[in-house]
Amino acid sequence: MRKKVNVLLYNTGAVAVGLLISACLLLFMDVNPAEVCAQTLSKIVTDKYNLGEVLVKATPLIFTSLAFAFTYKANLFNIGAQGQFLMGSIVAVSLSLTLQDTVPTALLLLLVLVGSFAAGAAVGGLIGAAKAKFSANEFLVSMMSTYVVTNFMDYLLRTSLQETKAEYMQTDAISAGAYLPNILPGTRVHLGFLLAVAAAVLVWVLLSKTSLGFQIRAVGRNPFSAELGGIRASRIYIIAFLISGGLAGLAGLTEINGVQHMLLRDFNASIGSYGIGIAILANGNPIGCIFASILFGFLNIMGTTMGRLPGLSIPASIIELIEGIVMICVIISYALRGYMENRSEKQRMRKAGV
Amino acid sequence: MGTPAVELQHITKCFAKVVANRDVSLTVNNGEVVALLGENGAGKSTIMKILYGLYGMDEGTILINGQPVQIKSPADAMSRGIAMIQQHFSLVPTHTAAENIILGNVHGYIPIKKYEAKLRQIAQDYGFDVPMDRPVGQLAVGQQQKIEILKALYINTSILIMDEPTAVLTPQESDSLMRFIKSFTAKGNSVVFITHKMKEVMEVADRIVVMRSGAVVAEVRRDETDEHALAHMMIGQDIVPPVRAAAAEEEAGQEVLRFDHVSLREKGGTELLRDVSFTIRAGEIFGIAGVSGNGQDDICDVISGVKQPTEGALYFCGEEISRASIRQRNAAGIGYVPVDRYRDAMVMDMDLAENILLKGCFDKKWVSRGFIRRRELNRYTDEIIAKHRVKATGWSDLAGGLSGGNQQKLVLGREVDVGKRLLVFNQPTRGLDMGAVDRIHHVILEEKEKKKAVLLVSTELTEIFEMCDRIAVMHSGRFMGIYRSGELTTAQIGLLMAGVSGEKEAAQ
Amino acid sequence: MLNLLTRAIMMSTPLLLGALAEVYAERTGMMICAIEGIFLIGAWGGFVGAYLSGSLALGLLAAVAAGIAMALVYAFVTVTLRQQQVVTGTALNILAVGVCAFFQRVLFGVPTTPLQIDTLPKLPVPLLSRIPLLGEIFFQQNILTYLAYILIPISIFVLYKTSLGLTIRSTGENPVAVDVAGINVNRVRFLTVLAAGGFGGLAGSFYTVGYLGMFTTSIIGGRGWIAFAICFLGNWSPKGAVLGTLAFGLADAISVYFRTGTTVFPTELIIALPYILTIVLTIFRSNFQVPAKLGVPYSKEN
Repeated sequence: MRKKVNVLLYNTGAVAVGLLISACLLLFMDVNPAEVCAQTLSKIVTDKYNLGEVLVKATPLIFTSLAFAFTYKANLFNIGAQGQFLMGSIVAVSLSLTLQDTVPTALLLLLVLVGSFAAGAAVGGLIGAAKAKFSANEFLVSMMSTYVVTNFMDYLLRTSLQETKAEYMQTDAISAGAYLPNILPGTRVHLGFLLAVAAAVLVWVLLSKTSLGFQIRAVGRNPFSAELGGIRASRIYIIAFLISGGLAGLAGLTEINGVQHMLLRDFNASIGSYGIGIAILANGNPIGCIFASILFGFLNIMGTTMGRLPGLSIPASIIELIEGIVMICVIISYALRGYMENRSEKQRMRKAGV
Repeated sequence: MGTPAVELQHITKCFAKVVANRDVSLTVNNGEVVALLGENGAGKSTIMKILYGLYGMDEGTILINGQPVQIKSPADAMSRGIAMIQQHFSLVPTHTAAENIILGNVHGYIPIKKYEAKLRQIAQDYGFDVPMDRPVGQLAVGQQQKIEILKALYINTSILIMDEPTAVLTPQESDSLMRFIKSFTAKGNSVVFITHKMKEVMEVADRIVVMRSGAVVAEVRRDETDEHALAHMMIGQDIVPPVRAAAAEEEAGQEVLRFDHVSLREKGGTELLRDVSFTIRAGEIFGIAGVSGNGQDDICDVISGVKQPTEGALYFCGEEISRASIRQRNAAGIGYVPVDRYRDAMVMDMDLAENILLKGCFDKKWVSRGFIRRRELNRYTDEIIAKHRVKATGWSDLAGGLSGGNQQKLVLGREVDVGKRLLVFNQPTRGLDMGAVDRIHHVILEEKEKKKAVLLVSTELTEIFEMCDRIAVMHSGRFMGIYRSGELTTAQIGLLMAGVSGEKEAAQ
Repeated sequence: MLNLLTRAIMMSTPLLLGALAEVYAERTGMMICAIEGIFLIGAWGGFVGAYLSGSLALGLLAAVAAGIAMALVYAFVTVTLRQQQVVTGTALNILAVGVCAFFQRVLFGVPTTPLQIDTLPKLPVPLLSRIPLLGEIFFQQNILTYLAYILIPISIFVLYKTSLGLTIRSTGENPVAVDVAGINVNRVRFLTVLAAGGFGGLAGSFYTVGYLGMFTTSIIGGRGWIAFAICFLGNWSPKGAVLGTLAFGLADAISVYFRTGTTVFPTELIIALPYILTIVLTIFRSNFQVPAKLGVPYSKEN
């Protein structure tokens, strides 16, 4: 318990330091960081719509961070959440466009939920199988899979899925009957956010309370001991990647049916890599992923809001800068915590020894 | 006698979890063999790693030839003529002997043929026969050790530290090592010989420094002591062998495990096990003696299910289990305490209850509808902790926070419950203090009393002789014979371990 | 066709530089997972250096410096602080995008017309460039490509025939042996990562200074990862890296060629080919000789 508090303390400290450093960088833009931040914050906090946007942005990030965190528990690296998300999106938009006027909303959304999960799971499962059957390097395979899926999507976008006008590389918009219902009037917050939170809780329960979760963690921490416990690592690799891919695929549902209502090129191009960053920030804890995602969503909105401040030309991409710095600070804080804990142990030993 | 070659004064070294050395002082003179004797974990290796610059020290001074020196890295040590051969050899297996020897001691372009020729010359001078151009990973352990020694000779070492050099050698290879040490020191060089075997100490050392729990407890000349006195100093108490029930031979129990001409070959073709056959009956302790690395681990792997025999079959309570999964074997009642608990028996950053669950995550007792029955599991874990006197505050402790002996007791407690009919122990007491060893021996004997079949692999002959009803001796994957306890003398078993056939064949 | 091959050689240049850098680093046990970010910051550094100074040489120098700077952070976190390489790399890759975009804005504001620099001139090698066919393919390239040629034999020689190479190869296989031999393992790793960062930065600058003459944050588009993959598929040897690079360079050239046309033919398949190739090879090639301690931080005292 004390350890958990400690982790939280160090993490929060690291985030604060990271934000501080980032704020100082604003000096390069010849602006007063404190003033700009205050202005931006008040713009976000006083505007219900903007606050809602934080949750809207956080929603897919919760899924992609859970995707990374899940395999991370089995000591696997799923760098391909982006591809799994896109596959989920492809299926979500296809199902929606085909079924939207024939099937009632609730049933349609349920089908899309299952479909996008299955689509992501299929991509993930293939990576897991490659790892399990051929002991391929899952890091490399999953990373490359994103590029393959992206090109596959591009192909579809200019052929079978292209809009009826055939002008841009994008699909037709899905009709309102296929939207995820709004849950906060005056904002764009949709049911997907609750789904994401529920998914995080489910993942937490799965990992910490069930035998399967235990097996995943055991394989991740020590595959040799796990093997002698009768746990087959290859089976766990496939299962972990199936679930991880499925989680990333669900982000397709929330982004297609909740936000964008169509699929287009360069669709949410960086939520995969952000997911990794968030999972690290949360130390792989599923519940932590919710909060870290909201933090990232907030930074995201802060970036765009800053970019829109009149008279200044702060690029919206400052968000990447802030996120990068925060992540590095968090990683360094892990090292610092380890060092401090080690040192206090050592001092205790020494005192006891003398 | 002149100035000592090395003087260590009042050295203290703390790690995060232990004080490894406490106020250690010792000297090494020129032309002398100093044996550093102590149990595993007594701090022998640590103090020498400090001298060699691998570890920093918290307090203390080092003098070389009377001059105080700072040794911050192995490079410093080597420049002062100190070399150390680690217990686990530090060779790059994919590189050739020559590449390994010159690593760190060449600059710029390497004309490898020239170096190979030069090294062959040095090897010849000491009568070592080592191929210089083959990857060392393909060589036998004895040859690898010679490469390690050549590394030291190549840099003109005058103070050679050897950490448990005989652990992997046959008695005959050990003899040749002893001869080398004598000729090396005859030239005025010094050797520090780290070991926990008293026999070697009496054979080679001029002076003996005994360490216990991180401190020097005694320093004696070889001719002033004997093995019994050394053992007493090392352990701090007399050894009381556990009382073993007289082997009730007439009551041979039912057959539990049978190996039927089992052979095991690696993918590359290396033979790990050759035609091994034996039977273990209920209520019997069957021992396997041998130098480690002669196939004992493979026997355990075949029983636990990590490896499957390439030829032959094994039977458990009459049923063939050659191809059964590990999970099936666990469920059938085979308990297994592997030699490397860090790697194979525990997950160090999980709590104790989860470590117990490691062997029970398919067991209805601890899992219902996929969910872990945490309350029952925790209670059971606390029971094991109490029953086996594991020093821990409770189920929520992290396994990594326990001392080695307590970790082993926990594994033991788990496995005796899993192994309802057969228990396999692979060097269960290696590296443990006497208290834990004692406890583990008692548990093994208790389980035998419960009519379980027990397989005990050990490299410690005393343990084999004290515990086992029947003894098999292994050499390069083969059984050299199976003997009743008391049939063998130490000398005979030594020959068998070296692969020299005895006259008597298997006594079933 | 000739054009295509010339282009293939040209497009191979940054991949080869990056892959060789990665081979050296991974031979010491250090995956450079920040390679994508190093490429990007190199591209940006090269662009800014060249634009501000008006000198392409200074641009290349700036690219090297930028690559080293990023590698410095990576080495500090992964070698000195012993943190996860994949995780640190991901963070730095994101950071690189932010740094480039932000400071691009700081330096240049929002320009009305896209900023453009001259690109490295083609330097036909006297005599050699006049060889029919081969001359045009191999010897009418820019200076970075020639540098890559020279680096091939040098990198092979250094890795297999010198003490430095022996140390590097040993560090990835068994750092303990290196430590015991009196060599500071972490120093070897740290410095190798820095050097790899320099070459990675140079590789990145190829896309701005050597080829496009302009900068966007999406200019690298995963090619850093391709270099990473080539190192892997080339079995951690410079020779393998050369072969892999040629294959990927060819695919890259073809995809650029195809991108211009709009046909029903799935041109995306060709664009994706390098990635598919990587996956297939990763899965079905079984005799990889991975450096034994790849990705494992080194620490002496437990």
